[in-house]
Amino acid sequence: MSPVQTLFSLGIALMVPMLFAALGELIIEKAGVLNVGIEGVMLIGAFSAAVGVNYGNGSIWIGLLIAIGSGIVCGIILALLYVRLGTDQIVTGIMFNILAFGLTTTLAVKYVHASQSSQFPDWDIPGLHSIPGIGDVLFSQDVLVYASIVIAALVWYLTRQTWFGLYSRAVSEYPRAAESAGLNVWRLRYVAVILGCVLTAVGGAELFANSGGFVAGYTNGRGFIALAIVVLARWNAFYVVAAALLFGVAQALQFEADKLGFLGDVPSHVLIALPYILVLVAVVFARGSRYPAAVGIPFRPTRSST
Amino acid sequence: MTAGSPALPPRHGLEERLRSLTLARGITVWSLLRVIAALAATLIIFAILLQLLGSDFGTAFNAVIDSAFGNSFNIGQTLMTASLLIATGLAAAIPFRAQLWNVGGEGQMWFGAFCTIGIALNLPKGLAPGLSVAILVIASMVAGAVWGLVPGILKATINANEVITSLMMTFIAIELGNWAIDGIWPQGASNETMSVPANTLMPNIWSGTLVTWGLPLALIAAIVAWAVMSRTKLGFEIRAVGLNPQTARMNGMSVGKVAIVTFALGGAFAGLAGSIFILGINGALPAGFPLNNFGYLGIAVALVARLSPLWIIPSAVLFAGLRVGSDGLQASTGLSTTVGQILVALFVILLLAFRLIRFSYPEVASR
Repeated sequence: MSPVQTLFSLGIALMVPMLFAALGELIIEKAGVLNVGIEGVMLIGAFSAAVGVNYGNGSIWIGLLIAIGSGIVCGIILALLYVRLGTDQIVTGIMFNILAFGLTTTLAVKYVHASQSSQFPDWDIPGLHSIPGIGDVLFSQDVLVYASIVIAALVWYLTRQTWFGLYSRAVSEYPRAAESAGLNVWRLRYVAVILGCVLTAVGGAELFANSGGFVAGYTNGRGFIALAIVVLARWNAFYVVAAALLFGVAQALQFEADKLGFLGDVPSHVLIALPYILVLVAVVFARGSRYPAAVGIPFRPTRSST
Repeated sequence: MTAGSPALPPRHGLEERLRSLTLARGITVWSLLRVIAALAATLIIFAILLQLLGSDFGTAFNAVIDSAFGNSFNIGQTLMTASLLIATGLAAAIPFRAQLWNVGGEGQMWFGAFCTIGIALNLPKGLAPGLSVAILVIASMVAGAVWGLVPGILKATINANEVITSLMMTFIAIELGNWAIDGIWPQGASNETMSVPANTLMPNIWSGTLVTWGLPLALIAAIVAWAVMSRTKLGFEIRAVGLNPQTARMNGMSVGKVAIVTFALGGAFAGLAGSIFILGINGALPAGFPLNNFGYLGIAVALVARLSPLWIIPSAVLFAGLRVGSDGLQASTGLSTTVGQILVALFVILLLAFRLIRFSYPEVASR
């Protein structure tokens, strides 16, 4: 493969953790909750996958299963805090991230062996992967890459074409009205937060699989980039794929720059910081993008009079 | 209440009675009970965790207390860590008062530290120690303020989500720090930057310990922040915007100006933490320092202090004790030093869950 092809091939692989996290965040924000704890959920997902691989004889599928389980647990805890107890979502999220960092770093000493790693199997799509030029790049990836695209389509369908998506929109724009129309705001938000956390944790599992081992604080802001991706993509699951790809390629640059002649002289630290700088630029470009009105505001149901 | 609707019956439950019992101004028995419940829950969860890790609560407790407060040297270490947390706590507290979420104190501290080193290495050699320290502390605060201004200005001008922007600035600053360590000012093979010259270090003020001028500087910062918040027009505007931006705007205050000023002020305090770390504690920027998360822990410090600048001082000492105590815990039980962060985060989350830390929100109106 040429350096440019390698860049995009790697970019697609690096896109996947952020894509899963951003799709999860999209579902959550569309129900009116801002999950700043996304980074922590991702980190716990990566850690759980590492533990699963460690105790599951190196099987990444067991790792994925444990990661999904950890996503459910994180989702229940965060849903209780954000929704039931109505704690401030930004502050709770930041504290959850510190908790996740402390927990995973402390537990990793005992439960994760640095050498133990495992990857999702690659799948060359028959026929398509031999298309010259783009075949190797697009159709010779690991199975989670394809899965992430399918899930993006499903999330688009869920948020745009189903009753769940419609009710979510009501709950995230004007929960009081949704309540008086007979919707259970809390129940809908519980489901959204748990579902979103599961997707985020799967992103963490892919991060672990890509990197070949668990490192303290490995997510390194990928969860926060996912927050920005959702804003940039204006809560549209298909745009989320495009935005995630942009950041995946930006992350891949640091590994491929030396082979791309024109970038050879740029210091590696600038390339590592590039995705974060890109987020700031993207935020400026996405300035018309408006959060659903009730995002971040806890909802208290009116007590029924009977 | 419309005429004819029945009056609500008075409630005589235990909870209602506890709620109305007041010990002192603003402190009810009910809130005290919730504090105790939050503390107990934190300790129980933490004890279970320690069991999982093959340690026990008694040993851990003794190790933490001993290495945080056991002798004057250890107390000195705790106080110096507290001075960092006071500064990063103020960096969070002031914007939080205006309901502006500066969660980038970590990055503002790093950029302050980065600039402190860069300038310290290039100051003229013959400068008087006091003057060079003053120059560096002010430069570091300006640097932190600049780093904080980016999310502040983006918030004020295009209403960008300050959580995202301030976090991104943090990751950029950490990468700058890494660059300083292995590219710009490397120190041979060791994993840190060059040490700053001796005439730029803050003088020691307590013999037998490593307490330097950083501690009084942090205390002064807390007092200045208190004075600004409660004795000036600016502080009044910050609090008014926090209570209700709409009302503040109708009364002629500029919400955008408050965003820019609070982020600059917060950034300056975080920058102070950066200079205290370099000039008053370590003398150089070490790799792996971000694992301490001092910037993020400042948020916890500020929340437990209920965003009040003076209460940040005891709150910072408490959390600094946990941080320094975790080092002792590592020595005696082999646990990672990050174990202290679990305790801090758990405690704050439970305080939030028990509604001991609360914020007010406007109801979402129809548009």
